[in-house]
Amino acid sequence: MRFSKVLSNGRPIKPVWVASLLASVLLLLLPSIFRLDGKTHADWQQFLGRFHPLVVHLPIGLILLVPLLEMAGRARPALLEAATFILSLSVFSCLLALTLGYLLAYGSGDAGAGLARHMWGGILLTIGVLACALLRGASGGLRGLYPWMLTCVLLLLAWTAHQGGSLTHGNNYLTQYLPEPLKRLTGMGTVHAKTFAYPDSFYAKHIYPIFDANCVACHGEGKVKANLRLDSYDRLMRGGEDGAVVIPGDPARSTLFKRVTLPPDDKKFMPSEGKPPLKAEEIAWIKAWIAQGASPELKTLAGISVREEEPPLPQVADYSGMMGQISQTAKSAGVTLVPVSKNLGDGLILNTVDAGTKFGDAQLAGLEKFAPYIVEVELGRTSVTDACFATLAKFSQLRAIHLEGTAVTGAGLAKLTQLPQLRYLNLSGTQVTQAAVAPLSSMKSLRHLYLYNTPAQPASTVADGQSTARKEP
Amino acid sequence: MKQHPLCTDPDHGPTVMDLPIMEGLKAEWAELETRRHFLGKAGKVLGWAALASLFGDRVLTGDARADNVAVPPSPQSLRLPHFAPKAKRAIYLFMSGGPPQMDLLDYKPNLAQLYDKDIPDSVRGAQQLTGMTAGQARFPIAPSHWAFKQYGKSGTWVSDLMPYMARMVDDLTIIKSTNTDAINHEPAIMLLNTGNMNAGKPCLGAWLSYGLGSMNDNLPTFMVLLSKLNPKENNQPVSSRLWSSGFLSSEYAGVGLRSAGDPVLYLSDPKGVDGGVRRKMLDAVNEINRQTYQELGDPETNSRISRYEMAYRMQTSVPELTDMSKEPQSTWDLYGPDAKEPGTFAYNCLMARRMAERGVRYTQIYKRGWDVHANVTGILPVLCQETDRPAYALITDLKQRGLLDDTLVIWGGEFGRTVYSQGGLSPDNYGRDHHPRCFTTWMAGGGVRPGITYGETDEYSYNVVKDPVPVRDFNATILHCLGIDHNKLTYKFQGLDQKLTGTTPASVVNGLLA
Repeated sequence: MRFSKVLSNGRPIKPVWVASLLASVLLLLLPSIFRLDGKTHADWQQFLGRFHPLVVHLPIGLILLVPLLEMAGRARPALLEAATFILSLSVFSCLLALTLGYLLAYGSGDAGAGLARHMWGGILLTIGVLACALLRGASGGLRGLYPWMLTCVLLLLAWTAHQGGSLTHGNNYLTQYLPEPLKRLTGMGTVHAKTFAYPDSFYAKHIYPIFDANCVACHGEGKVKANLRLDSYDRLMRGGEDGAVVIPGDPARSTLFKRVTLPPDDKKFMPSEGKPPLKAEEIAWIKAWIAQGASPELKTLAGISVREEEPPLPQVADYSGMMGQISQTAKSAGVTLVPVSKNLGDGLILNTVDAGTKFGDAQLAGLEKFAPYIVEVELGRTSVTDACFATLAKFSQLRAIHLEGTAVTGAGLAKLTQLPQLRYLNLSGTQVTQAAVAPLSSMKSLRHLYLYNTPAQPASTVADGQSTARKEP
Repeated sequence: MKQHPLCTDPDHGPTVMDLPIMEGLKAEWAELETRRHFLGKAGKVLGWAALASLFGDRVLTGDARADNVAVPPSPQSLRLPHFAPKAKRAIYLFMSGGPPQMDLLDYKPNLAQLYDKDIPDSVRGAQQLTGMTAGQARFPIAPSHWAFKQYGKSGTWVSDLMPYMARMVDDLTIIKSTNTDAINHEPAIMLLNTGNMNAGKPCLGAWLSYGLGSMNDNLPTFMVLLSKLNPKENNQPVSSRLWSSGFLSSEYAGVGLRSAGDPVLYLSDPKGVDGGVRRKMLDAVNEINRQTYQELGDPETNSRISRYEMAYRMQTSVPELTDMSKEPQSTWDLYGPDAKEPGTFAYNCLMARRMAERGVRYTQIYKRGWDVHANVTGILPVLCQETDRPAYALITDLKQRGLLDDTLVIWGGEFGRTVYSQGGLSPDNYGRDHHPRCFTTWMAGGGVRPGITYGETDEYSYNVVKDPVPVRDFNATILHCLGIDHNKLTYKFQGLDQKLTGTTPASVVNGLLA
């Protein structure tokens, strides 16, 4: 043969080996020749490239068939021949998938660490399959280096396919619904809390989560389209290939805002490719945030009220076995202990409206044994006095206390600071003073404190008729 | 008593079995009797088991007195809520007649340039109009006569007619996209109040009473306050169908307080009759009613007994409720001078606050007169003057007293009004016909998100263009605020699990929730 050379030990070098070596080198050099620079290229590249997710399943299936055929071939030798054929087919399908994949990335201007991993996986896998085919041809079966190479190829296949899946579906796609015990065991699937310089800022609490849910899959660490990353404040402000995307104070000129507010059928609309558009509320937040300076620190924005996610209600212990005892005791005090809801864990409300002034400190103390189940006490217009605070301090589950129109003066009110969950305290129409109320300001949980018609009512609110002392959250 | 010669059982009188008849026939009868007994008893046992579970605590704690065993206590509420509610009680300010949304809150600045232009056919579509304007040759656009300004942190546009509402926009959840299926008063008001255009269904208040039960022993769970009529206004009738309990026990129906004279007729003891005599009379009537129940077994008899008892307790609770002499001057400063006159909307708003304090679960105030078919510029200012300040006062008062956190206040009518003028349009005056496709309502307090406006209408305030809220969703949202899943609050009647939101699937409007 004209092209065959002879090695020192006398065996000829087949041209197919040389061609394979050349092809492998070319493949390895491919990323340096056509650099993935994050810029978009010709449309035809994207058109063909988009067949990559389809075609890529061909080599996966074919490669997985090879070991099966090799093993089954021990019993039915005809299958060994099939393995030869399938392996050669794998080589070509790998090359096709790799070409299309590269066209997709190059054409649409993708870049990023995740993409790079997937790309190198694909290149090495193709070389590996090629090597398998050559080794098998040399050894003639499951002998020599071939089985080892095949094992490597299978492992590499799994890893590369996973990288590709992460690109399309996101990083936690597989582990999101992992059962909780398994999550804890493996440490997978737990989203690592992102750290922010200003964790309480509007950006951290409301703007970043929008980007994270809608944009970061293509503009993040894994994939960096148009050289733009939105996974941190600095990168967001740095912008992408066309410069800044956020112009503080000017949403109309900010590319980011323009792109998400285009008509959804516009080619430049974001999020692209049929992903759901941002919600009207999210767009309003982004607009207001940019208009008000796109600050990483600002905690609230004028004109934007954000619904706060309420943590689930703390649950009280099971009291279903004590129902008889509870209603008996309540009845003898002339009051009712009503479940907050059908869910007993939500606790009980003490309702004293029927007892009125017949209900006093002694009756309250009589209910102390049910304190672990009572979450709200309505003591308005009863004859409880300052002595009630010592008792109430033992009702550790209390979320709301009504004392309006009672004779309390606030002596001992500070004892209520022991109640970790107290959100609501109504002292309207009592004689409590500013000094008595002052210790309550240390309570983080207390959101609503009512002092209407008391000496503690701030003078300014009396003057304009707005007599509510409502603590801002 | 002389024993009957044929009687074999000294405890019971003679039965057919004691008659000298054929043994075969007797055996047949005995069998029939047994089966009847069995089925009858089985039914009763099941009924009792259900009752015992409904209010097991009372029976189990030995509260069941002898007479209670003979006469099962009246039906008890379901003791919901399904989940921890944001609001324990609700106050509904019903603006009967249909307030014109574009003159109050649904600001349409473009209309001024369209004065006397015809509303485009594309906007009206194939809508069937009421008989009052269907014959009109033209449908000229009547822009609002009043200027609008922006208020509050939310920048909400409010008409100059509502200076008090303007002060509280940041507390309100305004819904511009409420819409209904009915174009005439009776079906529309029935739909809003009971979830169905036909009479006979329980109203929202009755469902709440049935679902949640009472919070106090001495006042009804559900009270209705009718505001006095203003003869200048076009008043549409409201009837007790609107606060009826329908197929639910009549105990859940609303109890009305009269707008003039005695709040409850014949509640006070007549001359020469003291409380003791009244009590004796009631006991005797109750005894007769118990016998009736044992004879006929109609649960409504029990409702009657419990209503008499409630009326008896109201003899003391209502005078205390309606005695406003202890209200401080600040109350009158807030609600305005009208509040001193019983039956005015202002008085009723103050009453609603007092009832909220006393554990009334649900109060519905009706203010009539919003049916402004003509002379809008003459009548609307009167209506606003009557209602604007009291509604503001109620919200402010509830807020300052710490009651707004767990009280849901709802404001709205049965439909909106047309942007085109009914009858003649002049620069100074116009009329507005009924309009079901969009109207503006608001809510405030427990469970809803303050300071927002939900939904949008087109530039004519004619069609909803964003986030429509049909009546069923509106009612589902109200129930949600009170901790009720509207799909689970049902009552089997006429072969259907009846519910307030009807058979068309309804959904809670999450955008309104806090």
